[in-house]
Amino acid sequence: MNLAHVHLLLNHFPTIGFGIALGLFLVALIGKNEHLKRAGLVLFFLIAALGIPTYQSGSAALETLCPANQCPPGVSMVTIRAHEDAALYGFALMELTGFVAWLGIWQFRLLSRAPRWNVVAVLLLSILTFAVMARAANVGGGIRHPEIEAAPQAPITTGEPVRGFARGIGQFVTGHTWVWPSCETLHFVGLSMLFTVVLLVDLRILGMAKKLSFAGLYQLLPLGMLGFGMNLVTGMFFFLGAPEQYTKNPVFYWKMVFVVLGAVNVLYFMLLDEPWTVGAETDAPLTAKLVAASAIVVWVGVLFFGHMLPFLGNAF
Amino acid sequence: MLAFGDFGSALYMMDFLRLIEQSSFSQWVTGSSSVFAFPSILLLHTIGMGVVVGISAGIDLRILGLAPALPLAPMEKFFPLLWIGFGVNAVTGTILLAADATTKLTNADFYVKMGFIALALINQRLLRTRVFGEPLVDKKPLTSDVKLLAVTSMIFWLGAITAGRLMAYLGPVSGLAK
Repeated sequence: MNLAHVHLLLNHFPTIGFGIALGLFLVALIGKNEHLKRAGLVLFFLIAALGIPTYQSGSAALETLCPANQCPPGVSMVTIRAHEDAALYGFALMELTGFVAWLGIWQFRLLSRAPRWNVVAVLLLSILTFAVMARAANVGGGIRHPEIEAAPQAPITTGEPVRGFARGIGQFVTGHTWVWPSCETLHFVGLSMLFTVVLLVDLRILGMAKKLSFAGLYQLLPLGMLGFGMNLVTGMFFFLGAPEQYTKNPVFYWKMVFVVLGAVNVLYFMLLDEPWTVGAETDAPLTAKLVAASAIVVWVGVLFFGHMLPFLGNAF
Repeated sequence: MLAFGDFGSALYMMDFLRLIEQSSFSQWVTGSSSVFAFPSILLLHTIGMGVVVGISAGIDLRILGLAPALPLAPMEKFFPLLWIGFGVNAVTGTILLAADATTKLTNADFYVKMGFIALALINQRLLRTRVFGEPLVDKKPLTSDVKLLAVTSMIFWLGAITAGRLMAYLGPVSGLAK
């Protein structure tokens, strides 16, 4: 099994998985079922989280299939670049959908129903995402299956120069000396925002500052999500600037595994009732403590693997 | 350039910095291929930053109106952890400085970073007495000078992070072993 296999495995989540999530969400809207709506939002969020390694494994698959830009016979670099661009548009929309869906899950807890603005926003974004992602999948399928490219609406037939959107961003990042340091600085700011939430919420659950109730701490969660969002954007700039630094770096895979674990971890605090039993001066239940401790391990782990990219891995 | 005693010349200062840099400890920090040398010391410095800035920003943002259901007074309990983080960064920062004295101490950006940290610490003290020295802090609305201190606190920490990050890019940049 190589990295191209990983991409072929993961790439079903943003396409088929997202389609299933959209179907579920539509059924929930028609049936006016609040819990099913929330289940749909949760699926959108989780698939958006899995979309991160999916996109990145695509760049790894490219390097496996076409080392040093030398593709085997029958494989067109133009098709690959077109797939990469379509996937990047789809990925950006999917992450936005996931972010908005997360806000909906967060507010659901306070309102006991899905907020109306959120349902409308997620519906529009997810339909758009699904359409763009389906196109990315279609173009991607053509890389190894030229028979589907022969369809009348085959998007890529001309031999346009191999540059495009993703490579354009990459060249913008590496072509200006100020971009990388600026993104790094913002990446550290985002890290600190995430740490604010991880430390205050999880250390309270573990028993520090016991006068704080979980209800108060819950209001902090969007700050952490905003920090994560900043770091996803700045992190993608790094990735697009120097993809091979990450795709050939096992430390980076661990970082992404931990990011996805972090996404699963935060859902405990949003979906389960247990942490809400933590009022002022109350001791948290054992499961809550274990999840809180694992949150600290996961996010320090993300920081650890990110930091070690050049040391244990082979970046720079 | 800083003067240094009777010798008072920039050249002497550079010799002194080189001496620190060439001590066997400094050589180990930068030269060792061990992951416990430079990589781990820098890792602790980054985690310490997350703890110090994370907790400070949490208190600052709460003062500015984020998470209104969160009482402010109990947040004082996070201060010991903040100071542990600060201590870790003072120690690891000194080690990183000693390992790389000739480039860092001749880099204006390093002094900008130290300036921001000094301001952040003074700000921290002022804020702490005004907020946590007030027993009725959660009963009364926060005054505008407390809010201003929360804003300046965040500005100073943002400045310290930015100046710290840019030390790898601005002015003399060390050729640390990768």
